[in-house]
Amino acid sequence: MNPDPLNLPPARTWRDISQPVRPRTMSRGGRWRLALSVLRSVGFGAVLGGLVLGGWSVAAAIRGDSRAMPASAKAVPLRAPELVTDRDGVLDAAWLARTLALPKGVSLLELDLARLRERVLADLQVRTATLTRHFPDRLVVKITERSPIARARVALKGGEQRDVLVARDGAAFFGAGFDPAGLATLPWLSGVSFAPDALGFRAGGDIEPLARLLADAQFSAPHLYRQWHSVSLARLAADRALEVTMKNGTLVMFTAKEGYFLQLARLDYVAERLAKVPGIVAKVDLTLGREVPVMADPVTNTQVKVRGRRAGPDPLLSAFNLSQPPPKREL
Amino acid sequence: MSSRSTFIGAVEIGTSKICVLVAEHSGSEVAIIGRGECASRGVIKGAVVDFKAASECAHAALEQAERQAGEKIEEVFLAQTGGHLEGFYNEAAVSVKAADNLIDHSDVRTVCDLALLRDLPFGRTVVHNIRRPFRVDGRMIPGSPVNLVGQRLEVGYWTVHGQEQRLADTINVIKGFNLNVREIVLASLASGYVVTSPEERQHGVLVIDVGGGTTDFALYRDGCAHTTGVLPVGGAHITNDLSIGLRLTQAQAEKLKLRHGRATVQTKDKAQKVWLDGNFAIGDRQFSQQAIEQIVAARIEETLQVVRQRLGAAFRPETCAAGVVLTGGTARLPGIAEVAARVFGVPAHLGEPPVWVAENLREPGHHTALGVLYCGIKAQAEHGQSARRGRGFFSSLRELFTHA
Repeated sequence: MNPDPLNLPPARTWRDISQPVRPRTMSRGGRWRLALSVLRSVGFGAVLGGLVLGGWSVAAAIRGDSRAMPASAKAVPLRAPELVTDRDGVLDAAWLARTLALPKGVSLLELDLARLRERVLADLQVRTATLTRHFPDRLVVKITERSPIARARVALKGGEQRDVLVARDGAAFFGAGFDPAGLATLPWLSGVSFAPDALGFRAGGDIEPLARLLADAQFSAPHLYRQWHSVSLARLAADRALEVTMKNGTLVMFTAKEGYFLQLARLDYVAERLAKVPGIVAKVDLTLGREVPVMADPVTNTQVKVRGRRAGPDPLLSAFNLSQPPPKREL
Repeated sequence: MSSRSTFIGAVEIGTSKICVLVAEHSGSEVAIIGRGECASRGVIKGAVVDFKAASECAHAALEQAERQAGEKIEEVFLAQTGGHLEGFYNEAAVSVKAADNLIDHSDVRTVCDLALLRDLPFGRTVVHNIRRPFRVDGRMIPGSPVNLVGQRLEVGYWTVHGQEQRLADTINVIKGFNLNVREIVLASLASGYVVTSPEERQHGVLVIDVGGGTTDFALYRDGCAHTTGVLPVGGAHITNDLSIGLRLTQAQAEKLKLRHGRATVQTKDKAQKVWLDGNFAIGDRQFSQQAIEQIVAARIEETLQVVRQRLGAAFRPETCAAGVVLTGGTARLPGIAEVAARVFGVPAHLGEPPVWVAENLREPGHHTALGVLYCGIKAQAEHGQSARRGRGFFSSLRELFTHA
């Protein structure tokens, strides 16, 4: 009978000689190769580990075990929303909190950003809004605001009248966060109807000429702009004319057919002349180009009457001929 | 080559030089793409005696080969030589278990395990187990005996073993370059694969690799290695003899050996002189050509006689029809084949690699590294990557492998 070979001791071969890696016995090339091989192994391990971890996270998320979910996906309570406004923005975090009205303890993943954006844009003071999730618990709202160019008074549904601010694009909003003193310098807007729309009120017709006039006046002739009490668009559609009533009752008519800069220069010249004649309420017509008719009406009362002027044609006091260039004057 | 290519490195750490070859093997094609060579230091008689010096040389050769190949190799096949390598023969026989005397795999496994069962002295470790052909009822079976009918199954193994520390030293030199040694190949077997054909090995051939520090020999019979051995004597000893006999430095003696050395004494005129340098510079000396030849011939003949003696009864001229094939760097000595023929009593010639070997690898000093590379490619092929398709130079290599 043959002996059982399994009971035979195995012969020792050269393969049983250990081949440990001893860096001290290595040459520089060997150490470099070893370092590369270690780096390769570590990189491979990291990739493998990442894949395993990712797979495990996905599996845990699918199972619905929130404890096993990565921190970025956990439903942690949302921090106070952060507001980022443009450089002229006046709205603040309190306004944002009021507007969003988020329930307490809500998590970032529960937010409906589209609906929240609608809430923000419901205030016509906000022109654009971008809402961004920053995991795990930050909501950032970036907005740009409308700047008011005039004030107006609109009638609400119940008949109540309320002051609104009018932006360059015709949007009328109640305004929040503005300095009252700054708002008091804005002229009143008349001769235009405000139609309620889905979000608030919007001026009927084109108010872009008015916006340009006010902007030019504000930046080119601020001393005149400060005297403006109201602006009427009543004749804009028919005559392309804008009527400005100054605080002393003087009515100035601008035309939208030509640039405002020259008209403001003529007005400045006329206003300087009129200032030498106290006690009159004048009507200055800048719609005729270089010919600027000025109708002056002496007032019996020294108090300036802005409203309720005497009816009837105003006597022609004089007509300033501006064919000859006026003396130079810096505006 | 395809992206699935594997890179095989072959390293020979010899006494006089360290040679590294890198081949790219893609299953169907093999190409030698890198070669590194460095003069050896810290190696005496095939054994590492100065680890640092040997490492520096080996690593320089490896770097050179990798640089030339443009690829990093991860593991190498290593040629092993040295006087510590010895061999013994052990055989076993079993009775076939089956009632119908049909030999099965378990019979083969049992007889092989029994033949390999032999304790080695402490500190010795097996390098190779070379199986000789099976015998069924005394009848030699070149292939597998499975499914043959017989009562008695015999097999024998020629086991090559070596000193574990010496082997570990060589392996650690390679490990110092952060490379793994995949296989150790006996240098004489590696050379034999390159300089002999399968037919020669079948008919019986003796391969003698006369290197710098050792002389490796392998006797093939019946297509496989029958006996191997290593003598710790080589070309360095001839240089040493010249250095002592003619009172020269080792470098001068080496130069003289390469220029005027001859394995047979052919110069009759004692007065015939040769110059050491031949440039008529100050210090140049004359030496007797006959004296040089006598010194070299004496050492060569003595070395071959020792080989014959070590082979003993294993070598019989009638079983060595293909004669003696000489290879190795020292085999370039003129007249060495005549000496071998006289000593062994059979025809002898210098080993020539197959015709497909490139010109720069044909010299005898590269035969061992080429043989190791052959073993590496063969091992790769055995691991299921043997779908070979070659052309030109390497199609011939494929043929060799196929018929080996």
